[in-house]
Amino acid sequence: MANIGIDLGTTNSLVAVVMSGKARCLLDETASPLLPSAVRYDDGSVVVGRDARDQAAAHPARTFTSVKRFMGRAPADCVADAALFRYTMDESEERFVRFAVPGRAPVTPVEVSAEVLKVLRARAIECLFGEPGGAVITVPAYFDDAQRQATKDAARIAGLEVLRLLNEPTAAAIAYGLDKREHGVFAVYDLGGGTFDVSILELNDGIFQVLATAGDTHLGGDDFDRALGEHVLTKAGLDRRDDADHRELLLAVEAAKRRLSDAEEATVTVAGATVTVTRADFDALIRPTVERTGAACRQALSDAKLTADKIDAIVLVGGSTRVPLVRTYVGALFGRAPYTDLDPDQVVALGAAMQADILTGSSQLSDDLLLLDVIPLSLGLEVMGGVVEKFIPRCSTIPFSASQSFTTHVDNQTALDLHIVQGDRELARDNRSLGRFTLRGLPLLPAGIPRIRVEFLVDADGILTVSAKEEHTGIESRIEVKPSYGLSDDEIERMLEDSIDNAETDVDVRLLIEARVEADGILTAVQKALGVDGGLLVPGEKEVIDAVVNALTAALPNDDRKRIADLAHKLDEVTAPFAQRRIERDLTLALSGRDAGEVGKQLGLKDSVARGTLDHTPGGKH
Amino acid sequence: MICYSCNEAVRGPVCVGCSALQPPGLALDPFVLLGVPRRFHLDGAKIDEGYRSMAKRVHPDKFAARPAVERRMSLQWTASLNEARRVLKDPDKRARLLATGQAEPREKGGPKLDPAFLAEIFDWREQDEESPGALSDLARVREGDLRAELDTIFTAWESGAGDLTLVEDRLARLKYVTGLVREHVS
Repeated sequence: MANIGIDLGTTNSLVAVVMSGKARCLLDETASPLLPSAVRYDDGSVVVGRDARDQAAAHPARTFTSVKRFMGRAPADCVADAALFRYTMDESEERFVRFAVPGRAPVTPVEVSAEVLKVLRARAIECLFGEPGGAVITVPAYFDDAQRQATKDAARIAGLEVLRLLNEPTAAAIAYGLDKREHGVFAVYDLGGGTFDVSILELNDGIFQVLATAGDTHLGGDDFDRALGEHVLTKAGLDRRDDADHRELLLAVEAAKRRLSDAEEATVTVAGATVTVTRADFDALIRPTVERTGAACRQALSDAKLTADKIDAIVLVGGSTRVPLVRTYVGALFGRAPYTDLDPDQVVALGAAMQADILTGSSQLSDDLLLLDVIPLSLGLEVMGGVVEKFIPRCSTIPFSASQSFTTHVDNQTALDLHIVQGDRELARDNRSLGRFTLRGLPLLPAGIPRIRVEFLVDADGILTVSAKEEHTGIESRIEVKPSYGLSDDEIERMLEDSIDNAETDVDVRLLIEARVEADGILTAVQKALGVDGGLLVPGEKEVIDAVVNALTAALPNDDRKRIADLAHKLDEVTAPFAQRRIERDLTLALSGRDAGEVGKQLGLKDSVARGTLDHTPGGKH
Repeated sequence: MICYSCNEAVRGPVCVGCSALQPPGLALDPFVLLGVPRRFHLDGAKIDEGYRSMAKRVHPDKFAARPAVERRMSLQWTASLNEARRVLKDPDKRARLLATGQAEPREKGGPKLDPAFLAEIFDWREQDEESPGALSDLARVREGDLRAELDTIFTAWESGAGDLTLVEDRLARLKYVTGLVREHVS
């Protein structure tokens, strides 16, 4: 079963897969790889893609575009953007953004994105003649924790198993690096419809190491359209803009923008008036936006401790990098001409497909390639006086863990509030609030005596888990940080159930398929391991494992989801000691020449896993 | 999974019962993990080399298609590996780790500073009032002296002479004067 790569873009989305050793984007019935990220909610049906985008002017209140700008954000932060797009925010909801839709329940950006993902998933099923394995979904490198969580939530609602969230510039670098077998330091300049990212990466010895990343999640080609739109209205002497006119205007200026990439001038017709725009006019209009990207580029270079002349190649990503001024500007900034060989619209999806293929563990592309990414913004806790105590500095390689101790400030304080923030400003209120939780039941002690140890763990998707513990008493609190402005598990479950493509029976079918896929994966892994490392089995172990393997193999074709899941779980359990011996053996090899025995002892490896039971579902879907 | 330390059921990297991070944990010795000698004077390229060879073995991407127990452990291994590199790449953390066994100060703000040292700083502040800029100049000179002293201590230690008892105090002083420099430059 092939894993797929998805570029969930502000303007367009794509799905790609590695076939016969080559990554390619899957095409729709018109042979286009691009699915416009536009969704229209009609009575009882949902229209996604080109039709929704092209008819947006006729149905402004029911059509949503550029929802990526709203993913995982606080309603209060979205008022201006919502006004720009003429969306009506549901003000009764304070925790997350929700848009009103005439004649039906309001929708969240997560649900809108899920509709786009469902279409891509359907395209994959059609092209691959079956359900895809898992998906690698790209996100802007600069997305914070809440925005990443929202993206994962959307995938879950669309029925996709997310193998990994991959940063877009990193995906682009993979596509270029694998394609050209280059070594050296790359800068990836990614200007999309609504987001801007720049990443500095080093490819060395088969490892892609992201050195630094910076960007702006609210800067992109949409801003060019808007500047051009304002200009056209002024020139045409118009100022009245109702919703339909506004959409029509945006479509017209977007087309003009594209023409200006090749032509010296273009005309825009709006409300009967025709305005001619020259390349020079356009450049002057967008120059301030383009120049805003320079600050992030300098920041990334400084974080990577490099100067522009140390960059071996620049890769352009995103449709907006077709704009000539952008190319000139980037060339001047880095002192060399950027690469433009790969289609800037497709390069991210191609890279995502390559990473998805690598994650199958039996990649046709490059078994040896490894990707090391970083966290884009510092993570910290709010402490006394609203100041942020940073736990994990920005551009730290992930996964990452860190811990620090805190104490109480008044005598007999029984609870401690922890407020987790993300960002690089000194004061908590200037940063993004990710979540709050309270450690209760602290012992009655004078101020300053309790020791509260807080641990942060950021996984390979850039998603955070925090736990806190009072060390004298062992009182503990742990949360998977659900962003303050995110959806709860219950809400996602409800959306999954509500979702039109997933009527109740569909959910059952999907869960059955998921159970089978997972069981099949475990069976394959176990059989492969037994074949390679049968010598590591202890007497009697093989018989126990075989019995479970046979039972599971027999259960697989039947529809008893619970039995399949239970047996898969059982198989994972009975093979855990065997898996453990294989890991230890591998690590011993990895550490050969070092004191491996000492390492193992410090870890208490044997103990832990021999007694282990497993939950083998990524993301914990139980 | 069962916590190796208290036998309570645990979901996720940290045990709810006893807060133990499930193995492999942070207790891992960075020098062993990166395969470099236990020295202060280290070749940065060797650290990176050790890092890369280990990352290729334990990174979660290498375990994506394997059972959950392996995926979870690989996540923790890699977190430890990243932390190990961060510590060894930072000369102050590396020095503290060798001297005290911990990369971060044992208590917030580090050990108490010597009164004579604090009196000297007070004196610098007075000088700064008379001729502005004196403080940061003096602090910068002292920063260089302290680094040179640490270097000497470790050079001797690496050749089998002397000990590291002064290191923690010198690092605390260094942190103080570095702070002074930063504060008075802007």
